[in-house]
Amino acid sequence: MINVKNVTKKFIKTNKKKERQEFTAVDNLSFNVKEGEILGILGPNGAGKTTLLRMIAGIMTPNTGNITIDDLMYKKNETDIKKMIAYLSGNTKIYGTISPYELLKMCAEIYDVPASEIDTRIKKISQILNMDAFLYNRIEKLSTGQTQRVNIARCMVHNPKYYILDEATSGLDIITSQIILNFIKSEKEKGKTILYSTHYMEEAENICDMIIMVNKGKIITTGTPEQIKKETKTTNLRDAFFALVGDEHE
Amino acid sequence: MNNKTLLILKKELRELFRDKKSLAMMLIIPIFIPLIIIGMSALFQSQTEADVNTYNKIGFNYELTPAEIEILDTLEIDYTVASTEELENSFNNKELNSYITKENTNYIINYDEANIESSGAASMAQSYLESYKSVLEANYLTENNVDVNTFNNLLTYEQKSIEQQNFYSNYIVNYAFLFILMAITVSATYPATDATAGEKERGTLETLLTFPIKSKDIIVGKLLSVTLSSIITGLLSLILAIIAIIYIQNTFDIYNGANLLNTQIIISSIVIIIAFSIMISGLCIAIASMSKTFKEAQSALTPLTFIAFFPGMIAFMLNISNNWLLSIIPFINFSIIFTDITNGNLNILHLILMFASTIIIIVIVIYYIIKQYKSEKVLFTN
Repeated sequence: MINVKNVTKKFIKTNKKKERQEFTAVDNLSFNVKEGEILGILGPNGAGKTTLLRMIAGIMTPNTGNITIDDLMYKKNETDIKKMIAYLSGNTKIYGTISPYELLKMCAEIYDVPASEIDTRIKKISQILNMDAFLYNRIEKLSTGQTQRVNIARCMVHNPKYYILDEATSGLDIITSQIILNFIKSEKEKGKTILYSTHYMEEAENICDMIIMVNKGKIITTGTPEQIKKETKTTNLRDAFFALVGDEHE
Repeated sequence: MNNKTLLILKKELRELFRDKKSLAMMLIIPIFIPLIIIGMSALFQSQTEADVNTYNKIGFNYELTPAEIEILDTLEIDYTVASTEELENSFNNKELNSYITKENTNYIINYDEANIESSGAASMAQSYLESYKSVLEANYLTENNVDVNTFNNLLTYEQKSIEQQNFYSNYIVNYAFLFILMAITVSATYPATDATAGEKERGTLETLLTFPIKSKDIIVGKLLSVTLSSIITGLLSLILAIIAIIYIQNTFDIYNGANLLNTQIIISSIVIIIAFSIMISGLCIAIASMSKTFKEAQSALTPLTFIAFFPGMIAFMLNISNNWLLSIIPFINFSIIFTDITNGNLNILHLILMFASTIIIIVIVIYYIIKQYKSEKVLFTN
């Protein structure tokens, strides 16, 4: 289980007048993610979703509060926690000069997958994601859709318990987005826990078990999509968001 | 070295050897070393072999005796006899390199100090006057019944050079070494930038940070790959420099009899190249990792290229003697120790101090970079 408790993250920003200003990206957030659940973190750009997921993935440290994953904390068990996680964001890029096979092999070795299992695992993932045709080509020569499949394969290779997906479909075409959504559904069926942030409300409504809506670093509501719609007396999450924030999002 | 460091090293080397620009920086820069060595040698040779006909035209404002003409012919001086005014005009028109005017027994050599040919001609004129003076002295002594040989042998002296090393050979070997250090510096900047700021700019750093690898392993892996690339450049430069030095020794007369290379010089070069490569790679990574973009990192590293080369070159040009303080100053110490080795007066204490200071600097640099890779301010510039 992922437990986020009173987590705050502040940054120092320099404005146009070159004055240093403190900016709170994540403001005292607390929530749990149960095993086997897809938790959608929804909010507009700049709401603090990426910062929150970076902290859960262990690549940023909160100023205050605690994050525990299966009761382990990053301070003492950083590598153990990271072995259980796969992180994929819209900004995540992969090494262009190597082939998907080389990348997957490298990732498997980094995640301590037994050497005897690596090739079998790569072959299986390659078949699932239909990567056989370009498995040995350089990544820099692949299309956006093919590259995103490689990125997903990279996340799958160590068979993680938790997926942290940050705006993973942002800026992608409809076919590539669908590949990612199908991947999320199939991993959910395998009992994996998924944290999924997006600003596409309809997408989240279709696949998430639980939703957390954030705005300006704070949670504005939490519940199942149905509960949120009922609570806000709306028919979709987009309207629910506007009903909750009013003009505050501007 | 643990398994994770090796995996990062493997990844970095794979990227390095597959990137055309990195390969070009690593392998093409050393090619310039033999070209510089051969070019400089040709320049030295041309300076020592200036054609006598370019500076032997000397004018005289008086009639020459047969004895004087004999001396002028022996010295290969192309002489002209004319009035002072005509000689002045010819000198100003560059038809004469120098001219001698005579008033009673006083001779004046007129020449242009700023002009190499004119200075050479003045030197020849001086030789002529010395020889002619000796003839006049001998005649005078004979006329006064004094034995010329006895008189000349009242005091005798000779010049004997105790300097073992040929000036040009010392110069070329030390410069070759300085150019090798420069080649290493230039070639280290590209992979260091690519492995840090480049990775940040391409967006792959975020991927790397999600892996279950400690910052220490990432840094050591990156440092080793850049160091290895620098060592390859350094050793390739050294091999090409050795080939070039063997070539110039057999081709240019200025190196006749000089011992340009020996085993001690080659072994010490290899040791210094390795120490220098580790240090320069660490510094390049430390500076480049602070930058947001590849371009910014390249600009930040430009001063390092000069700092790594010029202090050593200046120390060599000024013939600065080594001491314990200079032995611990980075960049100067490498070139001064090498000069000591080529001159055959290496002090072991200075060598130990050089290594000790290099190791301390490397440890500080690694510690600093590891701290950088934990700083969100540096890693997430957006």
